[in-house]
Amino acid sequence: MNAQDPEHYSFIDAAQRALGDPAAVAQRDMLARVTPQLRERAVAGFGEFEALRQHLRRVRQHTLDNLDYYLPRFELEATHNGNRVHYAETARDLNGIVLDICREHGARRVAKGKSMVTEETELTASLEREGLHVVETDLGEYIVQLAGEKPAHIVGPARHKSIAQIRELFLAAHKLGERKLERAEDLVAEARQVMREHFLGAEVGIIGANALIAENGYSMLVTNEGNGDLCASLPKVLIVCTTLDRLLPRATDAAALQRLLVRSATGQDQTCYTSFYSGPRRAADADGPLETHIVLLDNHRSDILDSDYRDMLQCIRCGACLNHCPIFAAAGGHAYGSVYPGPMGSVLAPLLDSLETYAELPNACTSCGRCEEVCPAAIPLPDLLRDLRHDQQRAGITPQRWRRGMRLHAWLAGQPRLYHWLTARGIGLLNWLGRRRGAFRRLPFAGGWTGERDFPAPQRGTFMQQYRALQREVPDDE
Amino acid sequence: MSDDSRRRILARIRGIGGGRDAASIERELAALGAAPGAPAPDEDPVTSFMCNVLRNHGSVDIAADRRAAVEAVGRYLYRELRSHRLVAGNDPHLAAMPWRDGGVLPRFGTLENGEQAALSYAPWGIAETGATVLVTGRYSPSSNHLLPVHHLVLVESANILPDLEAFWQRSELPRGKRPRGISFVAGPSSTGDIEAKLVYGAHGPQAWHVIVMGEVAPDALQRANELAGRAAQSIPQDA
Repeated sequence: MNAQDPEHYSFIDAAQRALGDPAAVAQRDMLARVTPQLRERAVAGFGEFEALRQHLRRVRQHTLDNLDYYLPRFELEATHNGNRVHYAETARDLNGIVLDICREHGARRVAKGKSMVTEETELTASLEREGLHVVETDLGEYIVQLAGEKPAHIVGPARHKSIAQIRELFLAAHKLGERKLERAEDLVAEARQVMREHFLGAEVGIIGANALIAENGYSMLVTNEGNGDLCASLPKVLIVCTTLDRLLPRATDAAALQRLLVRSATGQDQTCYTSFYSGPRRAADADGPLETHIVLLDNHRSDILDSDYRDMLQCIRCGACLNHCPIFAAAGGHAYGSVYPGPMGSVLAPLLDSLETYAELPNACTSCGRCEEVCPAAIPLPDLLRDLRHDQQRAGITPQRWRRGMRLHAWLAGQPRLYHWLTARGIGLLNWLGRRRGAFRRLPFAGGWTGERDFPAPQRGTFMQQYRALQREVPDDE
Repeated sequence: MSDDSRRRILARIRGIGGGRDAASIERELAALGAAPGAPAPDEDPVTSFMCNVLRNHGSVDIAADRRAAVEAVGRYLYRELRSHRLVAGNDPHLAAMPWRDGGVLPRFGTLENGEQAALSYAPWGIAETGATVLVTGRYSPSSNHLLPVHHLVLVESANILPDLEAFWQRSELPRGKRPRGISFVAGPSSTGDIEAKLVYGAHGPQAWHVIVMGEVAPDALQRANELAGRAAQSIPQDA
């Protein structure tokens, strides 16, 4: 999907490179401290957040269970609203449909709102290869477009960039003469000026959708910048690129999603713009596009729906799991090699592409469980990652040495008496060998650990030995 | 390509789905109940609305009637732009305002690039979110709320609804009568994309000023300011 070079992609190598940049590490550390606090404050302020989370989970489960009812219903309503609805089985299909629409209108300039679906299909690059001038109008997306990079985060694409790096990008890209551009405000003002021209000149606007409403055919768009609304309102042609799993039955369900999404994504109670679009401008309207298209992408989502991983289709793309993941905080988004990083990406990337290409991602997990705790859709992400690791084991993707080790461990765990006897001896031996320093610099079979840090010597017996000793000290009836 | 894709995708979805009848699906959906809403900062919806507008980095003024509303618009324009000019949609609610009394010179129509201030009439306000609801149409161009530097919104206190559900339940939206766009505007355009620093005026308005017209409790604005954690009277009333 997006592992730039699947043959040579390595999460470990990319993560190590990311850890070698102290300024970027400090920036990620700061974000990993701040973003969870923002969410926590917003969730606490809501009160019945857990009830809201469970309610929406039930609604989305119901929608996915009955997608054969809701999808045709949405299509019917959206068509009545004046849209042309297209279906794309693959990323290439979506890019082809969008290109055909652009060609049909002789378009040269495209204003594009933030859309992870089009990142997934690499739409911008695809259109640019055909000679179209495409500008990402979300400021974060625009910055990574200028840098020739992929987004590092699904909500804050340029969070990894420092103000100095962004300044250099702007000075190189915008021929506006001598200027200082020292503050964030200066950079935002310049981006506004440059992009305003583009909005006014673009023939085609492209946006994504946070939800599709089956009962009335509207699509919902949630933003703070308002760039998506400009893309949806100023160009003559609007194309909404989205996926089947964005469907919700009713507008009131979109209201529930709105409450969950903004608090989980940015810690706000409300974003600046929440807009619902039904189709082209009406006969008497003062402005708006003359023609609107909705492109519904499958790209393996129907396979996921028919699998044990269907919970993943409940994801609302808020990024909360990224903000709370210690691996994401350490390695950064680009290390994942997929446009979907972090815990949700470690599940989604292998399902949308292949388990072979993204073999390391299900293992990029400490099983701490924070992602599941904060997921507004209550997706059991650690369980799904574990299931993917099982699938890897079964498919023989896991390295042979690992598989042998796992088989040996599984056999040993099935012999409790032998297991306890062996671990007690091992712990005792390590305790005796490490009695002077309290730690080991080197250990056989643990080079991966001791290569980076000392291995602490166990202080007492095994867990079971200590548990039994404690039981003897504290009788049951106390 | 798309027709074949449609057929294949829908066939796959049908193969996975339960193939249940519409009535039983709708019954099951209705049985799931309603989502909880956000707690209101005050029992008075108008106070809650104004409090949330302030929390959303907007500014608020109140006006007892149309004449007072025009004066409030005039004060804002003079204070922020030293001007009396603005663009307003052709909305009958706005056209009927006594503009001369407030010394305001409106141009009715769609905002052109470069014009600084626009006024919209919001048929609804949402207390839960502090959002003004703008509906695109003949009288309400979307450019007027997306392009200006200063966006002013007039909303009547009687049209402030408690929550999002109240809006959707009120809006039946039958086929053929669905507006192109329904926008819940809750603040000036903003971005945190540069080192997580919040900056206003990313693409759209840098400032968002809401005028609540009609009956408002005497201390409602002061209470809204206090609830929002702002000093009372933080919005200058004079020019």
